[in-house]
Amino acid sequence: MTYPQRALGSALTIAEMEARKIRHDSTELWMRTVQPALWLLIFGEVFNNIRSLPIPGGFSYIQYIAPGVLAQSVLFVAIFYGITIVWERDVGLLTKLLSTPSPRLAIVVGKALAAGVRGIFQGVMIFALSLIIGVNLRFDPLDVAGVFLVVVLFAMCFASLSMTLASFLKTRDRMMGIGQAITIPLFFGSNAIYPISLMPGWLQAVSAFNPLTYVVDAMRSMLLTGDYSGLPTDILALLLSTALFIACASVVLKRLIE
Amino acid sequence: MTAQFAKAEKTSEAVGNGFAIQVSGLTKVYPGGTKAVDAVSFDVKEGEVFGLLGPNGAGKTTTIKIITTLAKPTSGSVSVFGMDALRMPEQVRQMLGFVPQAISVDGDLTGYENLLIFAKLFFVDREQRKKRISEALDYFGLTDRADDLVKHYSGGMMRRLEIAQALVNRPRLLFLDEPSIGLDPYSRMQVIRQIRDLNRNFRTTIFVTTHDMTEADELCDRLAIMNLGKIAASGSPMELKRSVGGDVLTVTVSGPLPDSVPKDLGTLVSADGGKVKILTDDGEKAIPKVTDYLEGKGATVVSVSLSRPTLDDVFMKYAMADLRDGSFRDTRSARRSISRHGR
Repeated sequence: MTYPQRALGSALTIAEMEARKIRHDSTELWMRTVQPALWLLIFGEVFNNIRSLPIPGGFSYIQYIAPGVLAQSVLFVAIFYGITIVWERDVGLLTKLLSTPSPRLAIVVGKALAAGVRGIFQGVMIFALSLIIGVNLRFDPLDVAGVFLVVVLFAMCFASLSMTLASFLKTRDRMMGIGQAITIPLFFGSNAIYPISLMPGWLQAVSAFNPLTYVVDAMRSMLLTGDYSGLPTDILALLLSTALFIACASVVLKRLIE
Repeated sequence: MTAQFAKAEKTSEAVGNGFAIQVSGLTKVYPGGTKAVDAVSFDVKEGEVFGLLGPNGAGKTTTIKIITTLAKPTSGSVSVFGMDALRMPEQVRQMLGFVPQAISVDGDLTGYENLLIFAKLFFVDREQRKKRISEALDYFGLTDRADDLVKHYSGGMMRRLEIAQALVNRPRLLFLDEPSIGLDPYSRMQVIRQIRDLNRNFRTTIFVTTHDMTEADELCDRLAIMNLGKIAASGSPMELKRSVGGDVLTVTVSGPLPDSVPKDLGTLVSADGGKVKILTDDGEKAIPKVTDYLEGKGATVVSVSLSRPTLDDVFMKYAMADLRDGSFRDTRSARRSISRHGR
């Protein structure tokens, strides 16, 4: 077996491990759909009645935030993934994984893919909810597939960031803290629930470095506008940050067990 | 990379300098200056059961982590079956099985799945996988519960599954860090028996850490006692026990007590109150001779009891000596006496 074959094999095995766990018990995933559902049903419905938001393309507010809510729910799943890793360290599972001949990189990619699997579940639930409450999105098969691809990449990106942070912070409590501290600015400093044009100038500049902005933009172009002009930039930004965080996590992950 | 790996797989049967592990001058200093392992050197021969004993915090787990490539040493060298563990960590891990101290099978998966995932992570090919998993389940008596979630297993079953998991890749060297911790006596006995069988039936080299001396005595061909990051003594359990002193025979007699005993019987320690105490090298063999000698002198032997040093005594001598008075002279002279006994 060549190195890439072994690395890919290991990564898929670790993702399979996670998928099997979800099959045995998916309670957590169902609970995690409550929050995005509330965003759509309460926040979305209420703000739908305010017509003063300058939403480009003449879409309703709830249409506008549906991709944002999807991105946010995936962000929440991914950013707390480091807690899972710390827990696995605490019970010895991580040491066990690292004692296999699997390359470190493959273990990080596998764990990140596992976060992607959870992200897909969120995506399915939010699509289902949108259909039920009649949010009009473009359910074109290719677009939906594209959205899932973005979901997986995005989950991998932030799960790797979370694993990198976990390697330095090392406890679940600290991870809870940092997770909270990161998600709120990321979420409100992006185009998830309002157009960037509404932000003050400095925040607009900051949001250009926010991966969530690119993710939401990509999802919105596929689910709402059908305008793919920004898509290459979005995907490139996402790919670069994912690769960066995966590389970081692969290098520092062993700190957790030392 | 690929070529290197293929070579490792090919040579994994052929490499044979007779040593499973060679550790030389191993030192690990943690950030903050704690010296967990201090210039440790030892060898483990292929096919033996080697025990690393020592009090909590002696540096045993750190030593294992370094040999299994989970941690990097500050200095020193480690080779596993002649392969440099620092330079070829993935190839070395391919030959190892590792059972960590804490039970670490995945409770959210079934027993079968736990084995399946590990077989895959060790690149066991598809045809072999099925066979090895069912064999392992069978060998450890887990076939009936294979499809239950592991969180519903008992502690003993989890431990057995854990060892089964470490065996799916048919390791040539198996590490067990405190394998019987937290098990009831029956489960403990089962685990010990299975470890010994593995060593006998598959010639798997076994490296075990423990602070249960009875267990070490039952299990190990050779031992090293580690304390404060150094190896304080090493040798076979018998050699180590001899080094702390011989057997003591206590004979209860009625009739005349001897003033002395012939040299080949041992040394007379005391003789009063109807009890004769004799210090001897091999107590069991000395019993009939001593009995004959005393009865030949006109006494009647009422009872004989034999007390031999245990590994507990060995442990106390080598591991606790430094804790008590902080002197290293004790350790050094101990090492000299061990090497003398060893020859």
